[in-house]
Amino acid sequence: MEIDLSFKMVSEWIGILLIFSVMAAIGNYVGYQYPFVESLIGMFILCLISLVGLIVEKLLPFDNIPAIIYISLIGLFVALPWFPLADLIIYYTSKVDLISLTTVLLAYAGVAMGKDLGSFKKVGLRGIIVTFAVIFGTYLGSAVIAHIALAYTGMI
Amino acid sequence: MPIQNKYNSDMDDLGEACKDYKLHLTILFCIIISEYIGVIALDIAGVNIVLMPLLYSLVLAIAFYIVKPFTWINKTQSDESSAIMMLLVGPLLVKLAIASGQNLTIIFDVGLAILLEQLGNFGTIFIGLPIALLLGFKREAIGMTSSICREPQMAVVMDRYGFTSPETRGFFTVFLIGTVLGTPFISIMASVLAYVIPLHPYAYGMACGIGSASMNAAAVASLSAIYPQLSVQLEAFSGMANLIAMVTGMYVYIFAAVPLTEKLYDILEPIFAKFVKEEEINIEEEL
Repeated sequence: MEIDLSFKMVSEWIGILLIFSVMAAIGNYVGYQYPFVESLIGMFILCLISLVGLIVEKLLPFDNIPAIIYISLIGLFVALPWFPLADLIIYYTSKVDLISLTTVLLAYAGVAMGKDLGSFKKVGLRGIIVTFAVIFGTYLGSAVIAHIALAYTGMI
Repeated sequence: MPIQNKYNSDMDDLGEACKDYKLHLTILFCIIISEYIGVIALDIAGVNIVLMPLLYSLVLAIAFYIVKPFTWINKTQSDESSAIMMLLVGPLLVKLAIASGQNLTIIFDVGLAILLEQLGNFGTIFIGLPIALLLGFKREAIGMTSSICREPQMAVVMDRYGFTSPETRGFFTVFLIGTVLGTPFISIMASVLAYVIPLHPYAYGMACGIGSASMNAAAVASLSAIYPQLSVQLEAFSGMANLIAMVTGMYVYIFAAVPLTEKLYDILEPIFAKFVKEEEINIEEEL
């Protein structure tokens, strides 16, 4: 099979992830008073693992496994107590607030949405209502079942 | 079957996007302002509504696109941003995964609940489908409401119904709206629901993991603002639920969610058709 991975592609990923790291570290400094350098190291770790996941997806011959799965599994693995660098990884990534990453993501989403503003108008309120109902239904359905399961197994 | 995922297809713009320093500086400006404002908790009639910085950064960025003096943010930057977003989901997922990995022992205690909780994702079918039919959607409703419409289901819906089918159109409508508006929506909804329907915080924590990294993060952050002493558990449970939802998402979707939605559609559609006047639904050209 043909491996669809070029040096150019990887260097572009690295470029974007570096920019993201600096931005997120500044965001963490402003919003959560985390030390800038420690946040930045934390971001580098998060980005490095993403990069490995992206590359692994290109190298392995399983077409239907998306990179997000590899990225998640690697992230899970390196934080397990018996992984030698786990303490270090956990320490530095704890200097990156989860929600601060979403703040950056949504800023790009806002610009990305710009060109779609017209279609948002056309799909209109009906599309938005259905989307919200979908999210609401998924969230509440899951929470109710989780609550019952937790109560049944005596965890709460 | 070759499965296209959004991760691969949208990345052509990245080379230019790297060098577009005006875009990045604008984004940085939005982030600094948003983080500086920080979390605002509004108390409206006893219901605590949590407003997150992500909401302000979204609004600010849209404003930069709309307001004319900022000419360096236009359609090109919009395309670049779409490509960048796909990449930024990665570190977010890693952060969630690390939260799960380091707390694996407490996750084992509640493992059964996290597994069963996945069934709750069918809640969208029972709540979403009737609402979509009521609003006059037809076959689109199947694509729209059979799942949360994220990446794991994308390939399936295109493969099963074809790229130009109404089902796929519906799917992408929810995908698009969910990407942008879903995240701020769930962050506010999570804080309101925690007060209106007081289920255990752990249950809501698991529910946050619905297979979308940004929605997961937003919902967990809202819950953590309400239950700061539980934030470690909430992040760990949601991260694990999210991972399971992503790994199993495609198969659950093929073998359970889609057949269930179609069955329910066949039952409900004739009933709703009597009430909802025939409307020409045309959302073709915009997607």
